[in-house]
Amino acid sequence: MKIQRRDLLAAGGLAAFAAGFSQTFGRMADAFTGERPEQHKLHGRALETEFRVDPATGELSVNPHQQVSYTGCLGCTTLCGVRVRIDKDSGKVLRVAGNPYSPLSTEPHLPMKASVKESFVALSRFADKGLDGRSTACGRGNAALAQIDSPFRVLTPLKRVGPRNAGQWKPISFEQLVHEVVEGGDLFGEGHVDGLRALRDLDTPIDPDNPAFGPRVNQVGHIVSVNDGREQFSRRFWQQAYGTQNYVGHGSYCGGSYRSGSGALFGDHRAMPHAKPDLANAEFVLFIGTAPGNAGNPFKRTGQLLAEGRSAGRLEYVVVDPVLSNADNRAAGEQGRWVPILPGTDGALVMGMMRWLFEHGRVNTAYLANPSQQVAEANSEPSFTTASWLVLMEPGHPREGRCLRGSDIGLALPEGAERYGEVDPYLVMGPDGKPMPVAQTSAAAPLEVDTHIEVGGKPLRVRTGHDLLRESAMSRSLEEYAADCGVPVEIITGLADEFSSHGRRACAVAHGGMMSGAGFYNAYSVVTLNALIGSLNWKGGFAMNGGGFPHVAAGPRYDLLNFPGKIQPRGTPLGRNFPYERTAEFARKREAGQPYPARDQWFPGAPGLGTEFFASTFGGYPYSLKALILWMANPVYGIPGLRERFGADLADPQKLPLVISIDPLINESNAYADYIVPDSLMYESWGWTGAWNGVPTRTLTARWPVIEPRAAQTPDGQAIGMETFLIALAKAMDLPGFGPEGMADAAGNRLPLERPEHWYLRAGANAAYAGEPVADASDEDIALSGVERIRPLLEDTLKPEEWRKVALLYTRGGRYQPASQAQDAGNPAWQAQRFGKPLWIWNEHIGGAKNALTGKRYAGCATWQEPAFADGTPMRAIHTQADWPLLAMSFKSALQNSYSIATPITGLHPENPLIVHPDDAAKLGLKTGDTAWLATPGGRARCTVLVHHGVMRGVVAVEHGFGHRELGARAHRIGDRRQPERPDLAAGFNINDLGLVDPTREGRPIWVDTVSGASVRNGLPARLERV
Amino acid sequence: MKSDPSTRACSPTGVSRRNFLRGIPVLTAAAALPAPAVAASADTPHWGMLVDIRRCIGCQACTMACIQENAMPEGSFRTVVSTYSVALADSAQPAGTYVLPRLCNHCDKPPCVPVCPVGATFKRGDGVVLVDAERCVGCGYCVQACPYDARFINHDTNKADKCTFCAHRLEAGLLPACVETCVGGARVFGDLNDPQGELRRRLDAAGVETKVLKPEQRTAPQVFYIGLEERFAGKVVGQGSLWKPRASHA
Repeated sequence: MKIQRRDLLAAGGLAAFAAGFSQTFGRMADAFTGERPEQHKLHGRALETEFRVDPATGELSVNPHQQVSYTGCLGCTTLCGVRVRIDKDSGKVLRVAGNPYSPLSTEPHLPMKASVKESFVALSRFADKGLDGRSTACGRGNAALAQIDSPFRVLTPLKRVGPRNAGQWKPISFEQLVHEVVEGGDLFGEGHVDGLRALRDLDTPIDPDNPAFGPRVNQVGHIVSVNDGREQFSRRFWQQAYGTQNYVGHGSYCGGSYRSGSGALFGDHRAMPHAKPDLANAEFVLFIGTAPGNAGNPFKRTGQLLAEGRSAGRLEYVVVDPVLSNADNRAAGEQGRWVPILPGTDGALVMGMMRWLFEHGRVNTAYLANPSQQVAEANSEPSFTTASWLVLMEPGHPREGRCLRGSDIGLALPEGAERYGEVDPYLVMGPDGKPMPVAQTSAAAPLEVDTHIEVGGKPLRVRTGHDLLRESAMSRSLEEYAADCGVPVEIITGLADEFSSHGRRACAVAHGGMMSGAGFYNAYSVVTLNALIGSLNWKGGFAMNGGGFPHVAAGPRYDLLNFPGKIQPRGTPLGRNFPYERTAEFARKREAGQPYPARDQWFPGAPGLGTEFFASTFGGYPYSLKALILWMANPVYGIPGLRERFGADLADPQKLPLVISIDPLINESNAYADYIVPDSLMYESWGWTGAWNGVPTRTLTARWPVIEPRAAQTPDGQAIGMETFLIALAKAMDLPGFGPEGMADAAGNRLPLERPEHWYLRAGANAAYAGEPVADASDEDIALSGVERIRPLLEDTLKPEEWRKVALLYTRGGRYQPASQAQDAGNPAWQAQRFGKPLWIWNEHIGGAKNALTGKRYAGCATWQEPAFADGTPMRAIHTQADWPLLAMSFKSALQNSYSIATPITGLHPENPLIVHPDDAAKLGLKTGDTAWLATPGGRARCTVLVHHGVMRGVVAVEHGFGHRELGARAHRIGDRRQPERPDLAAGFNINDLGLVDPTREGRPIWVDTVSGASVRNGLPARLERV
Repeated sequence: MKSDPSTRACSPTGVSRRNFLRGIPVLTAAAALPAPAVAASADTPHWGMLVDIRRCIGCQACTMACIQENAMPEGSFRTVVSTYSVALADSAQPAGTYVLPRLCNHCDKPPCVPVCPVGATFKRGDGVVLVDAERCVGCGYCVQACPYDARFINHDTNKADKCTFCAHRLEAGLLPACVETCVGGARVFGDLNDPQGELRRRLDAAGVETKVLKPEQRTAPQVFYIGLEERFAGKVVGQGSLWKPRASHA
């Protein structure tokens, strides 16, 4: 049966039942004025309900003892909108479910015009509304509330006692914290430590021989996990006010290879755009190294749409993954299928598919031949590629691998235009056999070009991206591809056939499974598949995210971007994500006649790299840090091999003089900190978050303190957290962009930035006024949603005409574009949010770059290259199959994230066994429940074995999120108090403790993908040993 | 609840499929039984649940929501999603995942009721099977009598415990916690005697695809399934679970 959910919502429309009655808030609460028994004889200790809804009339009665608020979850990086139930007397969070206004929790989501009261009724049994309108929290989202009152929380500033990582701390006052980290001194009786004031040197070069490295302030580095909606506040401080260049997120040890591979296709290696299947309308989706509905982002929305699509019979999908997951569901039969593969070899499968597509005329050449958006749209295509653009492939030419440009063939550029800049035209082959600028084309351009043109009397070989990609795909036989990835030829060709049989309602997508030694090219290959069928921007195809509402912006109400004294950080980034050819080292070596190899690897096609921070700082190349700030970050747990290779260095104050962490918990990384500053946690905190991807409509979730923060307070009565700490640092150092005149309204009037709400509420005003301003929140909305809590802040901070509009966003938990606007109003077969730039079949930024260790040029298009170390040496050439017969990998848990261990999840799911294929287990005589050693060249770990067929033969796989040493697994001493002993929280193991070093690089840093710089956790050479 | 949610490895016999892209026989293609009778009484409401297993993503949101809503002690579960890794013989896909959300079936002929020596367990007029904790002596007879392992002795209260369909929420006009947070939309709850209700309409549309657990026990369960694979309806023969929930009383 096909359930037409949208029809039901429309038919039962909220306005229909809500108009019939009006109640005062007081009357709504009448039903709850009885006694409150501790334990009911039938209901046990079940919670009191948050409200009552008369099933006959839809009349709402609220429980005056409870607050129900819409805010944001931080249980994983999806950052869903949730509704939080709070006991008003105790302040305890009772339960969490979904926010019906949020598309991350509800499909389709409620319109903003529905009142809060209507939103509550929409969750009830009244007219079965709560079934079709159900708004959910996942298992983790339900359990995460336990962290709020966790006995492992850091609630006061801490200073280490004894050596780093000793597990002993002294609580200190906020004033002492700020004074010591700013002024430095002999803080630990170990000698002088420079404080942040001394380290903020904006003038003196780090290295006079390499002035490009920038000023010494760059020796303060910052690692954050994810943008939880507060990122831009933090960046304002560390980059624009304090001035460091080195501020990175966790992407390089999350899904960095995928993002870089996607960035190559989308032509932006810094922002790395990516797209997702339009699961609501797709017919066929190929998931490679990502398990929809098992994990991933957006987790619930993907799971919900997958479930709906497969049960309705509309959606078929295949999951290519070394390990079976909950993405498969046998009850749904052949709607979903699982294809096991060897880790790190996805490129072989995909290039095999491409070979078949080219050989069988299944490549959409008509689409690929459109050289520009203009020509594409004239041919009814919503996107275009560079497949027809000419690439300079003359061997030895200094621009070999880059696109042929107008200035290369002598076309005159406008006055003042930069060669190879934006106005220097890209070229296609014209009808007369001569290159012509893309902008001058009005029709399809030739794809089959491999010729020589004459420039200045010399022949230059030029080819199209299409020609280069086809050559890449045809470079190996199907049998060779099949042998490399372990997937039979008939499955490879069957996938290619299926993938190209659904018009534009198909796409291929990947993610964390790309974190291998061939990660970048595997990912680039997967996403290039979509270009070959032209499914980008189509309804049911490869869809862009809907985006958000500008808030941290020079917006309609406030300017959150510009301020006097704002710094533009400069200098070589610590992670070496920069072309080696632009360094002084290269110039010197070229002068000396041998420009390659560089001392160590450089990553011109990568974003900021947290993975490389450690090799850089401890190897002194390009330079070392003097201070490291960790905000909500846990690289020691998340980066394969980091603990083993650099743990001792991290513990040594001589090598890294100052480590400051801002975090609500003690994790495997900030256990090495000198100071820990408590931070807010989930429902206590402010933030504005978008959908990371996978939501076609504009989305902005409002997170706000729906409960009283548990942390200690500053002397002026504010909760200690990231914002109040940074505001205090700015005040102590008199930095720009903070303080009594730290920010401004849209008219330029200076305003204070001295409290967190000054930032978040004014950002909210920009969001509320973006485009068409939102309506005002009613008193009823404010009362029912608990926004009453922050009403004084709203009224004090905002202008009289603004505050109720911002309050409206808090009553709804955000601002959300109507679900009906996912597709283009004028062309309903196209997505409303479209990518308007070309897809780069051949990426000249990669194809024109060289490996800094070998001087060899990188391939500029999708290709299959086996997992290798930095200089191109195959991993198996060093760690042979004979010594290490297995490949080890981790996979994302359906329940546990990297910091949710001390929650009820662990009671349900306490350990992570190693999944071993029966054939591999039989060779060692291992059976389920046995204990074994999993060994890699990076170390070994004790694990429990689970034997079943849900893993590729030759592969061992383990769920991520276990094997903790901290977050409760070790009891720290804080002052005279000792944390609870919970050895059960250390259960299982973490494969990142077994990561490899790269023996082909100086200093043997940890193994990363050579192009993306992302860590390698899939496909570690391994063996199992009986205990 | 005795069953645990963990990944089990097992090999039910007779599971196989044809070539990769030519269709996989659905596990549920076993002989279809007639649709089970629903709702013995004509009283309204008569609460029941439908679980469309095809839509379950095994995320355990239901499990965790139930724990929070009903303040379950650690290791006790009124509902849980059993998750199996199934070996598939002679096929390109060597194994598959099978999930089965489990809870009290609120049987119309509940075997737990007659065995209770103190009359604590009873079936209410609205179809919900409940335990009166003031009467219950914690003898465990009902736990033994339940063919679905849906009952347990709560070690906080020492009373028999099980799913109540969140009776406290039903009385407030709300949905059971597991239903309102079901991410895949697998759980559908409602009045079996309301012909216009969503539950009734879905059951009618599914027709003979609707099944119950262990129909041979003649307990007349009021929890129905679409996509139920009978080999998993009871205890699964094969590799036992490795990671049981901690402090499980099973």
